[in-house]
Amino acid sequence: MSSQQSAVRSYVDFYATGIRTQILTQFQYRVAMYMYTLGMVTEPVIYLVVWRTIARQHGGAINGVGAGQIAAYYIVWTLVRTFNVVFTPFGWEERIREGQFSSQLLRPLHPVHYDMAWFAGHKIPWLVMYAPIAVALSLVFHPTLDPRAIEVVVFIVAIWGAYVIRSLNHFVLGMLTLLTTRATSIFQIWFLSELLLSGRLVPLTFMPEWSQSIAAWLPFKWTFYFPIEALVGSMSTHTLLTGLLWQCLWTLIGSALVWGSFRIAVKHYSAVGN
Amino acid sequence: MIKLAWTYVRLGVLNEMQYRANFFVAIVQSLLGVAVAIAVLALVYSKTNALDGWSQSELLVVLGVQILLGGVIHATIQPNMERLTQEVQDGKLDFALVKPADSQLLISLRELRLWQLVDVISGAVVIAVGVSRLQTSVGAGHAFAFLALLLIGASLLYCFWLVLATGSFWVVNMWFLSDLFEGIYQVGRWPIGVYPGWLRYSMTYLVPIGFAVTVPAQAMTHRLAWTTVALAVGFAVVVFFVTRWFWRFGLRRYSGASA
Amino acid sequence: MAGVVHVDNLEKVFRVPEREAGLRASVTSLFHRRWREVRAVDGVSFDVEAGEVVGFLGPNGAGKTTTLKMLSGLLHPTGGTAHVLGHVPWKRERDYLRRMTLVMGNRNQLQWDLPALDSFELNRAIYRLPRDQFVQTRDELIELLDVGDLVRKPVRQLSLGERMKVEVVGSLLHLPQVLFLDEPTIGLDVTMQKRIRSFVAAYNERFGATVLLTSHYMADVEALCKRVIVIHHGRLLFDGRLDSLADKFGAYKTIEAVLADGETVSMQVPRAETSAATARLLAEHDVSDLTVEDPPIEDVIEQVFAS
Repeated sequence: MSSQQSAVRSYVDFYATGIRTQILTQFQYRVAMYMYTLGMVTEPVIYLVVWRTIARQHGGAINGVGAGQIAAYYIVWTLVRTFNVVFTPFGWEERIREGQFSSQLLRPLHPVHYDMAWFAGHKIPWLVMYAPIAVALSLVFHPTLDPRAIEVVVFIVAIWGAYVIRSLNHFVLGMLTLLTTRATSIFQIWFLSELLLSGRLVPLTFMPEWSQSIAAWLPFKWTFYFPIEALVGSMSTHTLLTGLLWQCLWTLIGSALVWGSFRIAVKHYSAVGN
Repeated sequence: MIKLAWTYVRLGVLNEMQYRANFFVAIVQSLLGVAVAIAVLALVYSKTNALDGWSQSELLVVLGVQILLGGVIHATIQPNMERLTQEVQDGKLDFALVKPADSQLLISLRELRLWQLVDVISGAVVIAVGVSRLQTSVGAGHAFAFLALLLIGASLLYCFWLVLATGSFWVVNMWFLSDLFEGIYQVGRWPIGVYPGWLRYSMTYLVPIGFAVTVPAQAMTHRLAWTTVALAVGFAVVVFFVTRWFWRFGLRRYSGASA
Repeated sequence: MAGVVHVDNLEKVFRVPEREAGLRASVTSLFHRRWREVRAVDGVSFDVEAGEVVGFLGPNGAGKTTTLKMLSGLLHPTGGTAHVLGHVPWKRERDYLRRMTLVMGNRNQLQWDLPALDSFELNRAIYRLPRDQFVQTRDELIELLDVGDLVRKPVRQLSLGERMKVEVVGSLLHLPQVLFLDEPTIGLDVTMQKRIRSFVAAYNERFGATVLLTSHYMADVEALCKRVIVIHHGRLLFDGRLDSLADKFGAYKTIEAVLADGETVSMQVPRAETSAATARLLAEHDVSDLTVEDPPIEDVIEQVFAS
């Protein structure tokens, strides 16, 4: 077997093992999972209710989007959100302090893979819990959802793409913890931007034109809005496929940034260390 | 007991003063948060004139109260509750319990993140702006009711947090607590009337956000009924005593169970 | 290239901000930072051959852990060079990381909530170990440390000593040729300490691995290391056999004699006068048993550090 093939094989091996490990861990903390999901679901429900109220007051639609579609948007939102949860950059400080980062540096595997495997493993038990929640929300809010086959396929690819892009971006942010003491401020600005420009707060089509133009150049919309809208909206096949290409592009950019930021951060860390 | 409380506060302030840089960070954070919230408000009101009968200026008041109380929570309530759950998980609570003072007071006052109080100022400013743009003016009576209801609201939120934190005696691993609360607290951004029935009731009685945020805002926007005030006061008193009982119950169990 | 580990004038200088207590000082420190240089490792040189077990002795803050961290690639030195197994450690080349391990006492690398066996699987994947070889090594290590029933329990349920044993197994699954052990027996009870020590000796014998060990328990060093390196204030004070340490630094010797009438006598005499004192004792008294001993190694070390 060539060394390339065996390298790929061992990465697959690692991810499979890591995912399995995480599934086993997560099932041990069912209460915590339920509580976390509960908190997580409140966010879209609030937005859903507010926008639905407005739609009702204005003859049933905002910008041509009806209450049923709004409900569909936010219910699919919760599924996409479950998928794009990754390690929070705020957690890096403790990780470094506890010496876990040093432990990772001692091993012949790039640290980015640990989080990516771990959180991929998270998804499986969460999806199991998500199903009844989605059913309950649908009964209460009556979403209208009628996707074409191609939309479903693109959706499934896109939520994993969202996961990868967000993982890579958060890793780069995490590296900032090693380089500056002002990292948390940078994180806050990042998350605020994401809230407004990703489709997390509202479907991007509700936002004013100028902010939509800005959002087009940032990675945020590909981690929330694109996957949701692929399933819920009515994008043409052409738009759907170009969207996937955009995700590929952002994945490449993210990977390059991970590679670069890690090298710089480790050099800096080796000067100080823990 | 007052002296003990004061000592803790003084220590907390001295501790925090060590990190002057935090002050600037806190100001920037607070301003950013307010800016985003107002942007969202503007977005909503670009599509409508009134949300559940509340005008934009009135909604500013709701927002201000939520930010203000959020500041109080992040500065005093949350750090203490987080420390409590962490110590229960690590089995280190015994240190606090050995001290000759009321345990509930102790675990509630030990921690102080002073600079989070910046949000109290931001919130107050937002409230003031909202009130100044109202059609009708606000009198001393309203202001007094407002302050009293704010205090009641803070007390209710404290009790809510303490009940959840006491749960750690049974559940032990409560890492999700802060995330859970932050998520649910966002409900307070909007007047409770917006939410459908079952959600409204749970957000008023189960998680007392309705009482804590919307009701004081009602005081400033001429929506307050006497019955609501009476209900708020009565509810707060009952909740306080139930919380204290639950705390002591959990504590007995913890002391009995620890090896 | 001399041997497995080659260290030449290794240096590590930290810049530490100076801060005094008090409110005024903390305010001024925001505008005007004062820095202090800490020479953690100050020009250390040594070579280690394959299969050697070397002990690093020194008080806290002497530079032992810093040296190990540099040799395991976690820290970049500020001066000097080092090679381990032909690699420059802080380049963190994959091939190097696969052939070495660093075990620090009191640090957990295994998954907290799962049985150790599951964490071992992870290590297998990380180090790309062929399954058969992995299973064989794993089982052998488990038997050597006698942790068969412990590896099926979640790690969080194990006691400190049990956790340490299991961590050690996890760290050796890839059969590293170089072991860096930093205070491996810290916090453990006496039985467990002995266990770990005999295991390290067995591993060294079985696999011919090179071991660099830091400790401030003399018993660790006495049990495992023929060669000792003493470090203090970042400098190498002594590099040689453990027994010659007493020769060089021991200030006195203890003479114990049992007299014919059953009385025991114990004397401390300056080193140079040992022969004369012994001769006199034998001449002037009826002695049935006589021993001449070096001072306990702890005292010797204290002497070394006091100088």
